[in-house]
Order: sequence, then structure tokens, then C-alpha cells
Amino acid sequence: MGKEQTITCKVNGRSYEKSVPVRQSLADFLRDTLSLTGTHLGCEHGVCGACTVSINGRSVRSCLTLAVQADEAEIVTIEGLRNESGEWHQIQKSFHENFGLQCGYCTPGFLITAIELLEENPDPTEEEVREALSGNICRCSGYSAIVTAVMAAARDMRELQKT
Amino acid sequence: MAPQAHPDSEKRVKAPWFEYQAPRTLKEGLEALRDAGPDGRVLAGGQSLMPMLNMRIAAPTHLIDINRIETLNHLTVEGDMLRIGALVRHADVLRSKKIREGWPLLTEATTQVAHLAIRNRGTVCGSISHNDPAAEHPSILATYDGSVVIASTEGTREVPADAFSDGMMSTILEPGEMVIEVRYPRPAAGAGQAFVEYARRLGDFAVAGAAAILEVREGKCARARLTVVGMGDGPFRAAGAEDLLIGAEMDASTSAELFAAAAAKVMDEVDPAEDVHASSGYRRHLAGVLTKRALATAFARTGSV
Amino acid sequence: MRFSNEKIVGKSVLPDEAIPLLEGEGRFINDISFSGMYHVAFLRSQYAHARLLSIDTEAARAMPGVIKVMTGAELVGRVEPFRSMPNRFSGGESVQNWLAVDKVRFCGEAICVVVAEDRATAEDAVELIDVDYDPLPVVTSAREGEKDDAPRIHEECKNNYLIKREYERGEVDEAFANAHAVVERSFHIGRKQAMCLEGRGCVAAFRQGSFKLSVWMSHQLPYVVRHYIAKHLGLAETDVRVIASQTGGGFGQKASIYPEEFLCSYLALQLRRPIKWVEDRLENMVASTHARENDVELKIAFDKDGHILAMNSDIWADVGAYSTYLWSAGMEPLQIAGLMPGPYKVPAMRYVTRGVATNKTPVGPYRAVGRPTASTSLELLLDDAARQLGLDPVELRKRNLITSDVMPYRNANNLVHDHVGYEACLDLSTAEADYKKLRKEQEQAAPNGKLRGIGVACFAELTGLGTSTAVGPGTLLQPGRDAVTLRLETSGTLTIAAALPSQGQRIATAMRQVAADELGMKLEDISCVTNDTGMAPYGFGTFASRTAVFGSGAVIKASQELRERLLALGAHLLDTPQEELGIVESVIQTLDRSKSVSLAELAEQSFFSAKHIPEELNKGFEITSFYDPKRGSFAAGAHTVVVDLDPETGDVEIVRYVAAEDVGRVINPAVVEGQIIGGIAQGIGEALLEELVYDEDGQPRTVTLADYLVPSSMEIPKIELHHANTPSSAIGGFKGCGEGSIIGAVGAIACAINDALSRKGGDLQVFPATPERVLRALNVEMREA
Repeated sequence: MGKEQTITCKVNGRSYEKSVPVRQSLADFLRDTLSLTGTHLGCEHGVCGACTVSINGRSVRSCLTLAVQADEAEIVTIEGLRNESGEWHQIQKSFHENFGLQCGYCTPGFLITAIELLEENPDPTEEEVREALSGNICRCSGYSAIVTAVMAAARDMRELQKT
Repeated sequence: MAPQAHPDSEKRVKAPWFEYQAPRTLKEGLEALRDAGPDGRVLAGGQSLMPMLNMRIAAPTHLIDINRIETLNHLTVEGDMLRIGALVRHADVLRSKKIREGWPLLTEATTQVAHLAIRNRGTVCGSISHNDPAAEHPSILATYDGSVVIASTEGTREVPADAFSDGMMSTILEPGEMVIEVRYPRPAAGAGQAFVEYARRLGDFAVAGAAAILEVREGKCARARLTVVGMGDGPFRAAGAEDLLIGAEMDASTSAELFAAAAAKVMDEVDPAEDVHASSGYRRHLAGVLTKRALATAFARTGSV
Repeated sequence: MRFSNEKIVGKSVLPDEAIPLLEGEGRFINDISFSGMYHVAFLRSQYAHARLLSIDTEAARAMPGVIKVMTGAELVGRVEPFRSMPNRFSGGESVQNWLAVDKVRFCGEAICVVVAEDRATAEDAVELIDVDYDPLPVVTSAREGEKDDAPRIHEECKNNYLIKREYERGEVDEAFANAHAVVERSFHIGRKQAMCLEGRGCVAAFRQGSFKLSVWMSHQLPYVVRHYIAKHLGLAETDVRVIASQTGGGFGQKASIYPEEFLCSYLALQLRRPIKWVEDRLENMVASTHARENDVELKIAFDKDGHILAMNSDIWADVGAYSTYLWSAGMEPLQIAGLMPGPYKVPAMRYVTRGVATNKTPVGPYRAVGRPTASTSLELLLDDAARQLGLDPVELRKRNLITSDVMPYRNANNLVHDHVGYEACLDLSTAEADYKKLRKEQEQAAPNGKLRGIGVACFAELTGLGTSTAVGPGTLLQPGRDAVTLRLETSGTLTIAAALPSQGQRIATAMRQVAADELGMKLEDISCVTNDTGMAPYGFGTFASRTAVFGSGAVIKASQELRERLLALGAHLLDTPQEELGIVESVIQTLDRSKSVSLAELAEQSFFSAKHIPEELNKGFEITSFYDPKRGSFAAGAHTVVVDLDPETGDVEIVRYVAAEDVGRVINPAVVEGQIIGGIAQGIGEALLEELVYDEDGQPRTVTLADYLVPSSMEIPKIELHHANTPSSAIGGFKGCGEGSIIGAVGAIACAINDALSRKGGDLQVFPATPERVLRALNVEMREA
């Protein structure tokens, strides 16, 4: 009850206990309180998708989520995609190798969304990729390289599964 | 009122100040909602409410976050009734084989709701409570002749979908009341169901949409339910068109003309609003086009009985 | 003898710039913080046109946590407002105060600034400011605004003309009188904006580091900003450092001078604290420059074979409330008019072009400025002419394109076309699309009931403008001179420094590739700084598709000098004639590698054992070169688009998209492809989706991203991209490629739609082609009530 609450959450594998104002968004909590500025704000009304993070394995708009709602949750942001040795997630590798970003502002949201897509559907068609990514706006690339990157990541991840 | 620095001022906060609670039981939740008074709001998915707070076009005094109330997270089929609790997300609907098999209209409509991340949080009951005229769920519930289960500290009541809407963004919910469940009766075997929408981009709010359920027996239309989305007030129940269809000969040779007549009736009866995306005339026209298409598709999906 | 590495230019080298972005470590403006920093929020006008009778800031100032509340009155006499003289051809001047004084002229104009300890408090305080407005009549269209009885927005601007220019060359009237056919077309394009994912913002810091004022800004032109900050705030230029932070999209919207960042700089000096402002999306929709909203009345005279004899255009640009500082209200109207001929031979032309002030957000530069409007109206007219003359539209274009055999060709707009292949692009585009087959298929009725249309649009795009070509004729602002510094470091690696910041175009990688080839160095031994006036020599900045030409050209010039010096010292160190030496993989060596010295060893000697080296061989290995290509370099393209129109909903679906472009010598193919497709995507948005709408009171109706629709991945089809590249005459043979494709996209899509409509007797003159407009063009009845 009241204007501040203590929350405990895991972000990128690390546990935090923080007192947060109840009206603070999860996006602002990640960026300002935890200094994880990789998650970006492009509209703050849920349309552009740049703020998308993963909560308990699901992609969510962090600008439309209150920090208090993340209590007891496990959150993954772009900063958490590398493994402990600092090695990139396949999706990061594929985006780099396929020029899947230009200004980079939308990229955090695309990576998180793509990861959920590939977990649900490891062998998507290009149309399915486009549809899954339709909630993330990119103004620079025209999406072509992004789609290529996700298809390549899907292929590489399937290969890795086999070995 | 003397200006004060809010005690919870933070580096970057967009929403205005409110009291927040996250009850763990429905009883706690309803009590909190009652105590919050007329400016208390239920926070479920937040995909409609939070943008309004961020843009400061809504300023509820209390937010009652129901996401911890486990008992509201049910998606069950009991006999011929589908029951969807207040915490069921659009994404849950899409993943449900039961719904896809028994209530395909609901699945089809849900694929048009926004995008992946929004569907992961947004709820069916939340959408119905919000009653945006361009949203899919209120119309789908009405097309199924479904009902809304409303709870307060006084008890629960069940209201038919047709009686729930009270105009654009407005429902018959009283202060202290919230939707805890929506119910969809199973249509008869062999019923054809279809949802058709036109939006400027995939996932946008519908400029217009039409949902249809048809039952055909011995070449005649035994039952017709038709609802139009995006007409300004809430789900538009095309009762006039339904009357035209019920009892009429409905087969491959008569259907085109019949559906055109139904569409014309819809166009006569709707009173759509004008906005940045469409004039009322275009919306009316679209209502007719989409009615025709929804009926044709529903008809094509009817099974023999 | 000259050796060189395997050529790195022309390869899709992976850009190092992407690495921090993929890890979430890019430092965009909102990611920058200093202790003791204050935050700023603005009170913005809720009226489109009004006198400010009073502003009561008392309650705001009293709020705990509020440091200062400032109105325009405080700045009068203290800072020079932005006085923009559009052009030496126009009369009238628009004066924009940093905060409105006496009057507001557009919804969203800044009236007060609140400085507070945090942004939330600043926003809460803004809500407590009380403004008494006296509303004035409003101008909401260029055509209405130029009427004699229209309300006047700026006292000195009669008919609200911020610019009006007439031009004529050749015997226009005679051509029209003797023409076989005269074809006319009206064209209107709606208002749009760049919609960068990241809004504007800045952090202005007093005495942070070695400069009196350091300003981090999401911006494309750091040196230009530095120049004007110093000028307006009475500082020495050397006191000011401007750093373009990681910028989330620019497209021209971040190439203007705006009041907000200048106010933050002023406040930083006054309050002696770092000051931060970040634009949120709702603010961006009204506070950052808009684009387009043009009307064109075009008339072309043809001979019996379809050759253009003369062109006459009347143009209105709705340029908003002020002539934006730097580029002026002249930019769009002058470019639309001056570039109307496109890639076609036009012997005579006349135009009257107008930039009319209205009570809307001011218009600034946005990707390709006036060229999409010019090109689309022209391409639509050419299709009309083809129909009228009974010619295939592609054939008509071929008869008029400026072909290589007549180059250099001076057109009626006084631009000289050379080193560009318009015909090659058209042939390639139509061949790859199998244009003849497309037309055959079009004759058969579509099985899905849709109306099929085919559009082919050609464009010329002048890139890499040097000093002899202005942004628009008569504009007082002339960019065109940029420098690059190459510096050998103590470790023997190379730093390139140029004030050409990137918003994703990978300018640093491109220049590294060029330097690697020119010098024979390994790519990983070269780094590049592009965004900081404290570290780079003067450069105008990144806009108008120029960095490949300017940056790379200057790198080549500087490399030639640097290479000479390195080999001279190498010859001394190796006791070998200089002509026997080359540089391969960062090592100076003879051909048979019997003698070699690495650049690392050379640097060590040069820096730390200099007494053993003759002075004339150790003048330093830091070279700064300026490059001015003088003229521009024409890029080109031809886009072939196939659309299906749904005659019941009005929906437009792009079913095939084939683009052939000439972007000169390509440095990094994958980066170029990204630019071209990105431009096409913005063109699709412009042709079909994006429109900023105002009501008759000047109130914006498109205020969120649910109203202003930009394409998602579902609205962009697969783009088939082909190249017909001709090197330019600039050093290195490079051309710019950032803007051309949006021109082709708007033109080809518009033509495809009208091709479909014309078969049903319909015609669309107003774009974007919303489904409703398409249905109205088909005369579909739609009852209002």
C-alpha cells in the first residue's frame, strides 16, 4: 500500500531488491534505477516496441508495465543476452552479420521479440517472421535486413540444436 | 491546493500519481475497488490503461492490480460453455486448442489484436471492459451471445453481452464492480463462423470489422448472428440484417444476393463516427463490404447438418 | 612502384559501430547523465495562433524542486532570436523567438521553460503555469494563406509569402503555343515528419571537461551547431564543444537549429549546471520540423513523338509558422521547382514557387526534401501523356531521358548531368521486372477481383553537393567544404577524424575502408571518430547524401599525402629507394619482402627516437585535407512497382517491387542496400500511410503513433534491388545514396496506383493514397449520413 514499494526481481540473472515509486514504469526502473540504458523509449504508449523486454519468458512493453508489477519476476533485457563468458546470443551474431541494424534505437525490442518468436517457432517462414515483428517499428532499415537476420538466426540455432 | 513536490518524484516518471495495491484474493481486490471510490481503476493487462496514464489523459486515484489473483486466471470449457477469467491474455487464447476447435471465431479475431508483446499482457476481459468501438473482443462476445460476469463486494451478476456496452469506451459497470469472467456458449455443430477486419496496418485498431455466425439447415438459414466493429458506440448488433437472413433460402445460388441485401441493411442502420483515419461514409461503406465478406466466409464454413 | 592491399572498398565489411548497439551500450542522449544535472520541460502553446496576454508562473516557481521558470520576456535583448531570411529573392522575414513573446504561431510552440531537479517535477510544474491566450484567426492551408484577405502571420510577409520566386529559361510560351499536346496535372502530397525512433534532446554542460560549454546533442551537424551557439550566446567558438551523441535516426529532422537546445545551452551558462532535455513522442509530433504538404500544378508541352518541349509549374509549399533556422522556408519550394525536370531533357522551363506561412509546425529538411514531390508530379504527368499520346509509359520516358551520349548535358534548370546512367537504370529495372510480361498479365482480368497497376518512375538525385551548388538557388547558406584528418598514432595505428556523424549509415566504417585501401593498412589498425567538434576538423555534417563523397574524397586526398611521407621515412629507415617500397597490411616493404618496417616500428622511431631522423622526413604524420567537389554528383534510379487495388476497400497492396539504382562506386554494399531499402520504406509510408492532419482551428489531430502511421514489417514487400553503377567524377568515384530511393518509391507507387485507376476512369491527385481516397477516385458511393 502507498506510494513506494519494495520489489525483488531478477534482471539478467542478477537479483535486486529496490524501493520503487509505484508510478514508475519498468522501463524507467531499468534505465534509471538499475542503469541498464539498453532498453529504449520511443513513444511511451506501447506502439513502437523499442522498450520491449522479456518478463518470465514473454515479450512485454516495459513502458506499459509498472516497476511494482515486476516483483518476483525474471526479466531479460538486451544487456542480458550475452552469456557469462561474454559470448553473444545467436540473435546478436545474426543481426551483426546481416546488417540488421542502422541507428540501433529499435534494436533492443527487435532482439527480444525475435528470441520469443524463435522459441515458439524455431522454423518460421519469412511471412511468419514479418508478422511476429510487426509490432516493432524500424524507421531506418525497411525491415529487409532484420528479416534476413532472424531467418539466419533461426537456421543457425536449429543447426546448433542438432549438434 | 498548495503546490507540493510529490514525495515519490523520480528522475523520469510519466504517469501521474496514484495509490497502488496488488491484492492476492478476489475478496481483497473487490474490497480495495470499493474503497477506492469512483476514480479507482482495475489494472489487468494495462495495455489500454497505461498509455492513457503515460499521456496523462487518465488520472485514476487508485490502481487495483489484479495480476496476483490466481483464481482469475482460468480458461475452461464446461460442457458447452467457454469461460475466460479476467487474467486470460490474448496470447493464451491464441495458444488454446480448445478455443480454436470450439470457438474458431474467437481465435480468428484474436489474431488481429495488436501485436505479440501487447497480446502477452492484454486481457480479453480488459478489452471488453474498456469497450473501444474499434476493438475486436466486445463484438466477438456479442456475436456468440455471450455474457459478462460482474463481481463486487455485493456479489456477482451475469449480464448478456448485448446489454453490457453503454456507448463508446463506456459500459454498465458501476463503481466498485469489475468483470471477472466472460462466457461464450458453444455454437451448434455445423455453424460457420468468420471474422473479417480492415485495418490500415496489421494489428491496428479496426477501421471496421464484421463477425458472423451462420447455421444452415435444409438450405435455409436457421440462425444468424452478425456484429459490426468500429461503428462508434460499441459493438453494433446488426439485428435488421439478422432478421433478413433468418429463414431465408441460403445456398450457393442465393447467398450472394442475400448477403448483399444484408450488407445494404447494415449500411442503412449503422451510424459510424468520423476520425483521422476514416470518414463516416467510408466506414459505412466498409461495414457493408466486410459484412458481405464475413457472411460469405461463414457460409462457406457451415457444415452439413 | 605502387602496391595495394586486396581491395576492401566494395566489400560488405561488418561495422564496428554496431557492436555497442547490439549489446545495449549505445550512448543515446537519454542515456547521458551528470551529477547535479537539472531537467527541463516546456510549456507549449495550445492554440495555433494567439496573442499572449499574460503568463502566470508564480505557482510553478513556488513548487519545491523547481529551480527556474523562464518566459520569452527574459530573453528579449539578451539573445538574438532566429531571424531567417529565406532567400535573396524573397521579401519578408520571419523572426522566431526561442520562447514565444507576445504571440504564438503554431500549436506546440514553446512558451515557457521549467528547470527542475527532475523531469517529473518539471512536468508537474508546467501544469501549474497559467497562460491567458487571445486567439487570433488561423491559416491552415497555403492556398488560403496567400489570399489577400488571409490573416497575416508575420507582419512583413504580405500574402504570408516567406518566399516566392519566379524563374524562366528558354522560350516557354512559344513551346506551348506550338506543342502537339499539352498535358496538365494537379498533385498534392500531405504533411509528414521524419519520425525518428529517438526524439531530439541535449545535455548542455558548463565546464564539464576542458571546454566552457559542452553540448551533447542528438544532431547531424555538430560544427554548424557550435557556430551558432557561439554566435547567439556570445561565446568564442573555441569555448564550445558539440558532440553528436549516438543518434537514433536523423533524416534531416535533426539538421535544423531549434530553440530548445539553445535554451538549454543558455541555461547551462546561467545556472552553471548540466541541463538535460529529452523530447518525448507527443512533444516530437509538434515540436520537431515537419515536411512536404505541397501543391503542384504542372503543365508540359510535348511534340508528336512525346518529347518534352517545355515545362511550367506552379508550386505551393505549406511551410508552417516560421522559416526554420538554417535551411529556411525556401528549401522545399525552391527544390521542388528547381529539380522538376528530373532526369529528362527539358529545353525550356518556367516556374512560380511559393513558401506560404501557416499556423502549423515549421517545415524543415526531410529525406530528399522537394524531390519526391517534384518527381511524383512529373512521373504522374508523363503517364497521363503516354495515355494521351498512345505510347507505352516506359517508351515515353526513354525518349526523354538524358542519355550518356549527350552528357555533359546542361538542363533548363542550369544543372549539368554527367557520369550517371538514367537509361541504364530504366533498362535494368524494366528488364528485371519483365515489364512486357507484366503488361501482358495486366490485360487479363485478375482472378482475385483486384485492379492491377504498374508504375515505372525514374529519378535523378544530385548528391555530394559542393560549393558551386547551393541548397536552393539564392539561399544564403552554402555548405560544401569538409575536412578529414588522418593521424598516425604512437602505436602506428591510424585515426581518422571527421565531423560527419552517423545515424546508422556507417560513415566511420566506410572511411576506414577507403583509408585501408589507399594506405595499404589493415582495417583493424584504423579507427574513426566522427561526431565531436573537440576531436575532428571542420565539417558541415551529415545530410543531403554527402558523406560518401566528402568524407571519402577527403580521406583519399589526405591518404595520398600521408602515404608519401610514410614511404619517404620508410625509405630512410630501410635505406632503400622509395620507388621500391609499398605498404601492405600496415607494413612498409619491398616487393619481395626482403626489407620491411612495420608502421608500428616507424611510429615508435618517429615519436620516440626522432633525433636520428632528418627533420625534413619527420614533419609529422597528421594530415588534414579539405575536399570540395565543387559540383554535385548525380545518382539515379528507376523503380518498377506493381500494385493490386481492392475496389471494395480501397486497399493498396504492393505485389512486386523492383529497383535499379546508380549510386556510383560502392564502398560497402550491405550498408548501401540498407540505405536504399530504408528510403523505399519511407517512400511507401509517404505514398500510402503517413499524413499529419490539422483541423480548421490549426489543432493537430495526429498526435500519437496510433494516428501517424509508419510502415511496419508487414507493409514493406520484398524489394528486388539491382545496381547499374556509374562512377562519379568526384575523387574516388563515389556518390551519395541516402535519399534517392525515397524519390523513386513515391513516384513509382503513385504511378502504379493511377495506372490501375485510369483503367476504370479514375484518377488520384491527393496523396497519401489512403483507401478512402482510392475509393473516391473510383467514384464509389459513400454516404455520409
